[in-house]
Parts: sequence; C-alpha cells; structure tokens
Amino acid sequence: MAVIEIENLTKDFAVGFWRKRPVRVLDDLTLEVRAGEIFGFLGPNGAGKSTTLKLLMRLLFPTSGSARILGRPAGDPAMHQRIGYLPENPYFYDYLTPRELLAFMGRLFGMGGPSLARKVDGLVRQVGLGESADVQLRKFSKGMVQRLGIAQALINDPEVVFLDEPMSGLDPLGRMEVRRIVTGLRERGVTVFLSSHILPDVEAICDRVAILNRGRLQEAGTLEDILRARIAGHELILSGWTDATLELLRPWCSEVRPMGERLHLRADDRENLEAVLRFVFAHGLELVSVNPIRPSLEEYFQTLVVGS
Amino acid sequence: MKSGRGPKTKPVLRSIAVILVAAALIRPVQDFIDARAERGEQPDLLFFNSPSLVQKMALGFEPLLADFYWMRTIQYYGRRDETGKRRQSFDNLYTLLDITTTLDPGLQDAYHAGSCFLSEPPPIGAGRPDLALKLLEKGERAHPLEWRLVYERGFVHYLYRKDYAAAGKIWLEADRIPGSPRWLGGLAAMALSKGGAEEIAIALWRRQYQEATNEAVRDNARDHLHSLLVKRDLAALREQIERHRAETGSFPPALATPRDPMGTPYTYDPRSGRVDLDPASTVRLVDTP
Amino acid sequence: MNRILAIAQNTFRETVRDKILYNLILFALVMIASSLALGQLTLGNEDKVILDLGLGAISIFGLLIAIFIGIGLVYKELEKRTVYALLAKPVRRHELILGKYLGLLLTLAVNVAVMTVGLALALAYTGRAPAGAYLRLLPAVGLIFLALALATALALLFSTFSTPALSALFTFFIWVIGHFNADLARVGKGSAVGEALGRTLYYVIPNFSNFNLIDGRAVLQTAGYARPIEGWAVAGAGAYAVIYIALLLAIAIVIFSRRDFK
Repeated sequence: MAVIEIENLTKDFAVGFWRKRPVRVLDDLTLEVRAGEIFGFLGPNGAGKSTTLKLLMRLLFPTSGSARILGRPAGDPAMHQRIGYLPENPYFYDYLTPRELLAFMGRLFGMGGPSLARKVDGLVRQVGLGESADVQLRKFSKGMVQRLGIAQALINDPEVVFLDEPMSGLDPLGRMEVRRIVTGLRERGVTVFLSSHILPDVEAICDRVAILNRGRLQEAGTLEDILRARIAGHELILSGWTDATLELLRPWCSEVRPMGERLHLRADDRENLEAVLRFVFAHGLELVSVNPIRPSLEEYFQTLVVGS
Repeated sequence: MKSGRGPKTKPVLRSIAVILVAAALIRPVQDFIDARAERGEQPDLLFFNSPSLVQKMALGFEPLLADFYWMRTIQYYGRRDETGKRRQSFDNLYTLLDITTTLDPGLQDAYHAGSCFLSEPPPIGAGRPDLALKLLEKGERAHPLEWRLVYERGFVHYLYRKDYAAAGKIWLEADRIPGSPRWLGGLAAMALSKGGAEEIAIALWRRQYQEATNEAVRDNARDHLHSLLVKRDLAALREQIERHRAETGSFPPALATPRDPMGTPYTYDPRSGRVDLDPASTVRLVDTP
Repeated sequence: MNRILAIAQNTFRETVRDKILYNLILFALVMIASSLALGQLTLGNEDKVILDLGLGAISIFGLLIAIFIGIGLVYKELEKRTVYALLAKPVRRHELILGKYLGLLLTLAVNVAVMTVGLALALAYTGRAPAGAYLRLLPAVGLIFLALALATALALLFSTFSTPALSALFTFFIWVIGHFNADLARVGKGSAVGEALGRTLYYVIPNFSNFNLIDGRAVLQTAGYARPIEGWAVAGAGAYAVIYIALLLAIAIVIFSRRDFK
C-alpha cells in the first residue's frame, strides 16, 4: 500500500528582483513510498529534496501536480495529526527547554495531562537529552537541537515520519543513534521518508531510495536494483596457481594481482568471466570466491552528478 | 518573500468575508463616534500636554516637530471657521503654543500670532490675555533683544486689559531696547499722558497693520484700524449734522460724505439725519474699545 | 481553539522571557515615577501632570512593546524557520496568526496593568486625586489598550510580508498619522478631489484619535475644566477597535495563508 503518493509534482520559484522569471526547482516528480519502509531521498545540495518535503508539508504550494499522504491531500489537518516532520537544520524557540518545547508541540496535537508528560520524558531519554531536558535551547549545540528535532517529530507517535537531513550536524556517535532510532521506527511499522546526502547512512538503513538531481528524479528503487545494473565486472580469487597459468589467464583479465598463495583477478564483462571460469575448471585450479564488483552508492552518485 | 500561490481554503474565504464586512462597518462606526463626540461635550484633547515630554520625545528633531506643532496650532485655531454648530473652545491653544515654542524658541510667528489668538475675546480667540502675556514673556526670555515682543506685550495690556499705564510702562521698556523704532517712545508717552485716546489706538493698529508679516495678524489689525476709522468718521459727521440742526433747525439737505477706508461713501438720509456705513461696504467692523 | 490557545500561551511565554520587555516596563515605571518629581515643580495640578505623563508613558511604551516584540515574533518565526516544524503539525496558518496575536495581547494587557498600577500608586502618593479618579483611570487605560491592540494588529499584518525594520517604520508612521488624520481630512478642503481624498484617508487610516477620549483632566474631573466622559463614544471606540482589528487580522491571514515558506 502506498503511504506517500507524489504525482507530477512541479515547483517554480520566481527569482530576480525586478523582472521575475520562474526557475524550476522541482520538475515533474512522481514517486511512491510504501507502508513500513525506510525510503531514502537522495541528491546533492540544491537538488530539490527540501523543496519536495516542504511541498509535502504544504509549506510551499506546488506549481502543478499533487501529493497525497496516507490517502489524503497534502495540507489536510487531519492527516497532519498522523505524521511527523523534522525540517532541515531545524531551529526551535531558544527560550524553551526541551521539555517545554515537546509539551507545546504535544498540545498542538491535542495531547495533554500526565500521558503527555510521560511521552515527553520517554522521548527526551530516547534521543539522549535526558540530562539537558530542563536547559534552555539557547545553550544547545547543533547536534543537540537535531536530536530534539527528531524527538518533536515523534511526539504524536506518527505513522509516517519525514526527516530532512537528520544526520547533519551530528558526530559519528550521534549518527549511529539516529540510525538506531530510524530502524527502531521501522520495527514498529512506521514509514520513514528520509532525505540525506550522507550516503553510507542511507546505504545502511534504507529499503528503497530515490535519487534526485537538479529537480529531476534520476532513479528510484531498491539499492540492490539500482546498483546491480551498474556492476563493473567481477573479482575472482584463486589458489594453486603457477606463473604459467597466470600468463594464460592474463588476456581475459583487466587486473592480475598475485597475493601470496592467492591470485586476485578482475574480469570486466560476462564473456571474460566465463572464459576465466572455464579455464579454472579445466585446469583444476581452486576457486576461492567470485564477487560482483558493485560501485558504492557514493561512486554511483558521483558519476551521476558529475555526468549531468 | 515571494507571493504565495496557495489555494483559497476555507479560512482564506472566511477571512475575505471578514475583510468585506469590517471594511463596510468602519465608516458608520467612525461616524457614530464622531457624532457622539460632537453631541456631547466635544473632546478637545491633546495626547501629550507636557512640552518637556514632547521635547524629550523629539529625539533631536525639535525644529521639525515644532513646525508640525505650529501647523497643528493653526489647524486647531482655524477650526473656529468650520461650522457654527460646533462649540468651540481654545482650551488647548496655549498648550499647543507652549509646545511649539519649547521645541523651537526661535519660531517668532508663534509668539506674535499666538498672543493675538490667545488674547482676542471669544469667539475669535481664547479670551485669555493672561496666557498671551505668559507666551510673550517666554518669547522675551528667548529673545531679549527683540523689541517687537515687548511692544506686543504692551499692546495686550493696552487693548485687552485696558491698562494704559501698564502698556505705557512696557512700551518705555521696549523703547530702551537697541534698534527699536523711534515712534515707540512717542507711543509710550501718549499712553502714559492721555491714557487711552482713540488716536493711540489708531496709531497702534496702523503700525501693527504695516509691520505685520503674518497675514492673519495683518487682517486682524486692518479690521481694527478700519473699525476705529469708521467710528471716528461717523462721530465727526454726526457732530456736523447736530451742529447744522442746532443752527438751522433742520438736517442738512446733503452732506459732502467722505468715503470709508475701503472707498465706499457713507450713507446719509436727509429726512432722518442718519449717517451710517453703507451696508455694501467691504469694511469688516469689529468691537473696538 | 486549543491550538490557538497553546500558541498564544507559548507566545506569551516567549515575550515574558525576553529581556527587552523588562527594560521597557522599567523605563515606563521610571518615567511614571519621575512624573512625581515633575509634578512637584508645577503649582497646583501635580496630579494632572502625573496622569498626563503616566498615560503618555503607558501609550508610548505599550507601542514600543507592540512594535518591537510584535514584529519580531512573526518575523523571527519565519527567519529562524521555527514555523516549519510548527506548520507541519496539525496547525492551520490562521491559527498561528490568531494565536500569536492573542499571546501578544496578553503580554500587552499584563504590561498595561503593571504600568497602570504604577500610575495609580504615583497618583495615590500625591493624595490629591478624588476617589473617583482611580475608577475613571480604567476606561482611560482601556482605551489606550485598544489603541495598542490595534497597533499590534497593524504590526502583525506588516510583518507577514515585510522586513522587521520596514514593518516597525510603517507601524510607527501609521500610528503617528492616525493621531492626526482628523487634521488630514481638513487639509484637502477647498478642492473637490482633495476633499474626497481627505475624507477617504480619514476613514481608511486607522483613527487612533478615537482612543484619546479620556485624558488626565477627564480622569480627574477637576471643577471648571471637567468634561464628562462620553460613554457612547467610548463604546464606539471599542467597536471601532474590534472591527478594525478583525479587518487587519483577516488581511494578515489571507496573506499568510497563501504564502510560500521558502
């Protein structure tokens, strides 16, 4: 079941002081996010990620196209009762303490009383702000504000959570914690829509991703699918080799590296791979492993952005 | 800050309805307030009554604010022309003048015209020669060498308080200020000796009329001067008629009637012996002492 | 309604934790206190001086609070992007505007109350004012509060589409012009076009002089100078404030509701 349905979403901004001309920041985005998945929304800075999120939150009004969340149009207050949102580089009233901010946000959802207080306590602890729960936010570091931002997005036990760059401003430990929180949400059946440009984190936790560049959708699907299409050959490891076999194998391989007992080979395409394998079986060499060489998400990302 | 393109949602439509209704209501409510304020005692209020407070709030813009308050004073005074139905008082006139001259003590017009507005009896002025004297004294403190202010203070004593001795003494004071005109001394002497002859009044108003740089002051002086001249002319003519009747037992059949100051001949009726200002004359009569 | 109240409460909390507020109140109280000294310099009507200065101080400092805090509130919300997290909650934009306004009004009410108590104490110190003066102080202060509420709505409206500096300037200008627009209406006298323009401006520009119906003298009801307080005019001023505020807030809501938050 689709929890987020984005159809032909397009946004122009008018720029220029005197004669305003429209600049397209999001171009015909169509996307679906399914219930219970962690969906990574990737792209370099300025790709239109935050714009998309703001369109979903109705902070911006689309030039054309539509978006539905939980089957309701974006901007429907009843739907907002069931979602959470962490803005990019969040900032909250710095005269409040985390406890006060979360209580205030909770009241906006119609919560109150001891159950809200309990909820606030739990969240503050969950995001690791237990010791600073009653300190005014003006004394907070960026990372602490970020954690509080995640907490406020979860105050209403949302069914869908939108996180805009949740890892930014966090140290490695903090990033780990956020990953833990996000995977914890998935275990509870919460759908997470997560925009990021920190790819290792995305690779580690996302079920499916969409890649956005210059306002256009480049790719969407599981990481597996996206990267498999870009397998850059295979790496084979053999043992029991001799100098003679090495020389015979060399024509099919783009790389030949003896490492002690073992020989590392690289075959760039299917034809060469099959030739090498036939040779190995025919000559009774021992095949230790065959691994497809996939680009990391980071490498793929680079080629995409540089190439465009 | 780009213009939004949001849809016309229910709150937006409701707000537009509120805008329309409220816009339609503002005028009747304002009229209601104005009518009430008129029918009852007219509120004649100033937001700030204290010159020193206004001066502190001027933040270095005193001259500008003084001009502003001076215009406001004129407006305030000028309201008397508006309609007869409104009861007009000049309760705040002195305060306005006080604020104006505190903000800019150099604003000479405010002393000259202000003392005139203040001392004229109602409905033309506030009928407060005491405040006029206070204002002029304030002006004299700021401009010790300005003989006109002293002269005008004497004038207030002479005209509105009928205290000719005091007027004469003050004019002597003015005469001692370097640069004052010669006739001041003569004027003082006249006031002190004859104690208020018509001739002094005519001389005074003529001076005032010739010296005035402010139109309102000049018009006022002209009307007073003309009224006095008409009064003098008529008295002379009546005396002539009376003399003729005493001698011949009848009114003179015709008079070589002179013209009034605006050039219209006086009217004479030989049957009743009445001589008077022509109703068509453009002379504006005011009360004279 | 609950959400509006939550936002109002939070707005009130924001202003209460703002140092500017205390500075302004302190200044106002110092000014009222100094009127005691000034009052001693005049002869006879020191209570009138105290009242005039005190009511002036409440008005001016109330205006400063309305401008500095009022404009900052909405602009900061946009500038610091706190509004993003807020509007993603089930909060509609008009609720945010109304909540902010209500919170500010509460702040103003508390401030005006504090300053009024200060003024009443100063008046009591002289011991000359009649007992009724304290009672008549309430409608006088009430009218000032209405004027401030109107100025706040104006500030809020400007801040939905303009920068804080410009908003402050606009609000202050209109406040000044609004005290003199009866004179403004008279300026055009003479020419038909000028007169029509003057009349139009008279109705369009918020008429702050509607709220000057009660001054120190009216509060004191000193013999000879006293003018009775015209109850219906005061009620009319109240209705005027409510209508004009509704108009301004509705415009603010229309603008704010259709705005993109880039």
